[in-house]
Amino acid sequence: MVKDELKKYFEMLELPPDASLRDIHNSYLRLKKLYAGDSIVLAPLGEEFPKKKRKKVLDEIEEAYLKLLAAKKDEPSRTAFLFEDALSPEKAVDLPTTGPSLRKIREKAGVDLSEISKEFKVRIELLKSLEEERFEALPEAIYLKVHLKNYAVFLGLNPAKVIDEYLQRYQVWKEKK
Amino acid sequence: MAQTTKIREGEIWAVGGGKGGTGKTFITSCVGTYLAKKGKNVVLVDMDIGGANLHSFFGISRPQKSLTSFFEKGASLSDLVVKTDLDNIALITGDIHSIASDKITFSQKLKLFRQIMKLNAQNVVIDLSAGSHNNTLDTFLIADRMIVVLVPEVIAIENVYHFIKNSLFRKVKKTLKEYGFKEIAQHIWDRRQNYGINNLKELIDYLKDSFSYIGTILDHELASFKIHLVLNMVRNNNDILLGASIKSVMMKYLGVPIQYSGFIEYNDAVWKSVREGRPFMLNYLATGCAKQIEIFVENMIKGKDVSLPVGF
Repeated sequence: MVKDELKKYFEMLELPPDASLRDIHNSYLRLKKLYAGDSIVLAPLGEEFPKKKRKKVLDEIEEAYLKLLAAKKDEPSRTAFLFEDALSPEKAVDLPTTGPSLRKIREKAGVDLSEISKEFKVRIELLKSLEEERFEALPEAIYLKVHLKNYAVFLGLNPAKVIDEYLQRYQVWKEKK
Repeated sequence: MAQTTKIREGEIWAVGGGKGGTGKTFITSCVGTYLAKKGKNVVLVDMDIGGANLHSFFGISRPQKSLTSFFEKGASLSDLVVKTDLDNIALITGDIHSIASDKITFSQKLKLFRQIMKLNAQNVVIDLSAGSHNNTLDTFLIADRMIVVLVPEVIAIENVYHFIKNSLFRKVKKTLKEYGFKEIAQHIWDRRQNYGINNLKELIDYLKDSFSYIGTILDHELASFKIHLVLNMVRNNNDILLGASIKSVMMKYLGVPIQYSGFIEYNDAVWKSVREGRPFMLNYLATGCAKQIEIFVENMIKGKDVSLPVGF
């Protein structure tokens, strides 16, 4: 893709042109949440910034995300394989998010647990429990969420999806307990 | 305007933002102290007419000289500079007497701006009043760095939009007036319904598209219109992310480039420091606030945005 065109997409996601895949994911999710929801940041503008225009912004964000994912696919990245046969963001993030499958992705990416542990200052044992879905060894949902988010972000996965799906299983376990 | 062409090396920074009580004066004092610590020769100007209290942040309870003398007795601004206990940093204290902002005449205003530009300092930092009065906006617009302070509250966000919109509109009007297109922007804005214009961005786009000469002028003159945003009194990551959201909305809705230069966490040490009448950046150097002020100033100088917390 032409460099200038890519630059435009980075700008749409409010990122510098050297942003990483992780940055792209984060920015995409942040902006999507902002323009799809009813943030106090949008409320004061009211009809000066109507729904129709917000929709347009959302479409642009979506387009930029897609294009950047496709462009990043050719870049050497440890988790590039995630995008090998999935070009659309829907497919790219449509991966199983059970503990063992998270572990598989991590291992395939050649990421060691110690790296995640170091980056987010979290015990390796906790990360292991997370991958093995040993729920009894995991903290309460509110804290677990943070660890799941960090884990997902580190691997370039969609944190919202990982959190949602993982916590669903966690809740089922908790209710049975 | 031609009368206020810059003639010196130093930089003027202005701190505004619309709402009162967001910490403009606190931030002015801290930014000034930090710049002075970095070795810059700094003069702070308290333009918060009617609510001047920048001097209190430096432990000066009753300033001997103030802007009153400038407005009432025609004193020269450079004669009104008051020393502080700190090296490298001096003040021009605000008008603590009678003058009301709308009593200031046009020629007084121009004279004031000329003299601010001639002040013998490497950095002038101006503390502005709350509100979006034209005098406040004009002072904001003479700055090389335009800083907007807000807190994570709906009203503050509303006021900041108002302030930025008004600053930009004022800038457009002044620019066009300088090039001989007096009143055209206001004229079209007043009849905006006839033109199908809903907001300021659409007005600017309309002007650019309809008159290619105006388009060239505005592209050139608005290129330097950039706002530095600083979010004060944040309490959590969601608050920090609000700054990024405001930046996004202002860019996408108004087309104004915003740099989210910093955030400062809520800390009781701030009001303690004000009570003690000692500069915050000296007495509370070890606080997160002080560190965040440093990062904020460095980000402004380097043209960098704050790093956002990961995830949400």
